[in-house]
Amino acid sequence: MIKFENVSKIYKDDFHALEDINLEIQPGEFLIIVGSSGAGKSTLLKMIYAEEKPTAGEIYFDEVPLSSIYKRKIPEYRRNIGTVFQDFKLLSKKTILENVAYALEASGAPDKEIKEDVPQILEIVGLGDKMSKYPDELSTGEQQRVAIARALIHKPLVIVADEPTGNLDPEASIEILDLLLKINKLGTTVILASHDKAIVDKAGKRVICLEKGRLICDTPKGKYKIKQ
Amino acid sequence: MWLTISRTFKEAWKNATRNGWLALATISVMVMSLFLVAILYVSTFTVNDILNTVQEKLSVSVYFKFDTTEKTIMDAKEYFKKNVNVSEVEYISRDKALEDFKKNNANDPEIMQSLEEIGENPLWSSLVVRANDSERYEEIVGYIESSAYREDISRINYGKTKETINRLNGIVKTIEKVGIALGVIFSLIAILITFNTIRVTIYAYKKEIEVKRLVGASNSYIRLPFVFEGIIYGLISALISMLILFLILRFLTPFISKMIPTQNLVSFYWSNFLIIFGIQFGLGIILGVFGSLIAMRRYLKI
Repeated sequence: MIKFENVSKIYKDDFHALEDINLEIQPGEFLIIVGSSGAGKSTLLKMIYAEEKPTAGEIYFDEVPLSSIYKRKIPEYRRNIGTVFQDFKLLSKKTILENVAYALEASGAPDKEIKEDVPQILEIVGLGDKMSKYPDELSTGEQQRVAIARALIHKPLVIVADEPTGNLDPEASIEILDLLLKINKLGTTVILASHDKAIVDKAGKRVICLEKGRLICDTPKGKYKIKQ
Repeated sequence: MWLTISRTFKEAWKNATRNGWLALATISVMVMSLFLVAILYVSTFTVNDILNTVQEKLSVSVYFKFDTTEKTIMDAKEYFKKNVNVSEVEYISRDKALEDFKKNNANDPEIMQSLEEIGENPLWSSLVVRANDSERYEEIVGYIESSAYREDISRINYGKTKETINRLNGIVKTIEKVGIALGVIFSLIAILITFNTIRVTIYAYKKEIEVKRLVGASNSYIRLPFVFEGIIYGLISALISMLILFLILRFLTPFISKMIPTQNLVSFYWSNFLIIFGIQFGLGIILGVFGSLIAMRRYLKI
């Protein structure tokens, strides 16, 4: 489904964020990317949702090379991918319901669809009773659920989660992992970047390790074994 | 498409109303520049109108010596008419001139008395020559002066009116120059301040923009709110400027009517409403959109 072919990313100041990455992700897979900060995890994820372009090599999504997508078609491409971040990126002046609806509005969905889909997806992430609350009134774990609901609203093929548990306590982290596993079970590919050992070990899924921009391990049902 | 426009417009409206003071500053400066353009338009029109009225009344009077025969004057009339710049030549005999003079001064007993004391008709017979174009009078005077009838002519009356016209022309040109210069300066300031306001909005909505990008909002969906914000400022400013213009013209009309009876600025406002309105709206939108485009170019990365 997603394929990295000899991908390298060099930033302006000659910083090699990624070097010669070859990686294939199957549809429906749950992939965990581990590595210390600065290892290139975020850069790799950004390339999947076309926020960064590789300096060399090519990335394919469903056989289509991303470099062949016109700039103005990128927003359309991004609707295939839901994104979740450590800092949630919720709009504090909007309610939970509005936060999720915002994503649909932005893509030009009709009002009727928005009214039907948004409560449904909030129900799925377990926030059906908190739709009219504002992000600040929720716990951090619940805020991350809102972000996941927003990521899911387009019914994406892939969920990309960059350190989604980084700001959460261990208990909430496990809940978020469970939610992501549930989403994966329903057929959505999940790509999770994390350096939370407990989460990685509990998931028991395919793990790839990055170190200084290089792919140094790739194990099915892997454990977290990067030195901090 | 319609959904995008209505949603982004709503957002623009929210953005504009949320920054109350900034919006106020933007609109005030924009009103000033639009109003200046409107005043320029109205005053150019007014002075041009006055100029036209004066020019229509304009003529060259050629006075003939007492001993000139009527036949000579008639020949001269035909001769003057031959000039391409001349539109009309009217003959005023000595008797007719006296009659007109008496009519014009009937209320002034002193003049009437002195006229009686003279005993005979002191006035010259004359030809009143009118031109197609007020710029051509000098040529016509030259044509008359170099004609064979020069010896019969006692005086050509032209000088004063020429000065008046030149002065009016000068005023029109000055108004236009100053007006255009001020208009350009204020327009630039208006663009600059709109630019700054949109820039602030872009900063304030950084997170919204980021989220929009992540959820796959189209580029136009991200940009349109800022374009619309500029347009909203332009439209509101145009409305305010129109209102101020109307009130000022209404206030000034009695004074101007006293000076120039043909002028009615309020009726001018209404009969030219669409044109003034169109210019104001068009310019308002251009200023707003321009300011917003520059801001987006520099501060909105997509």
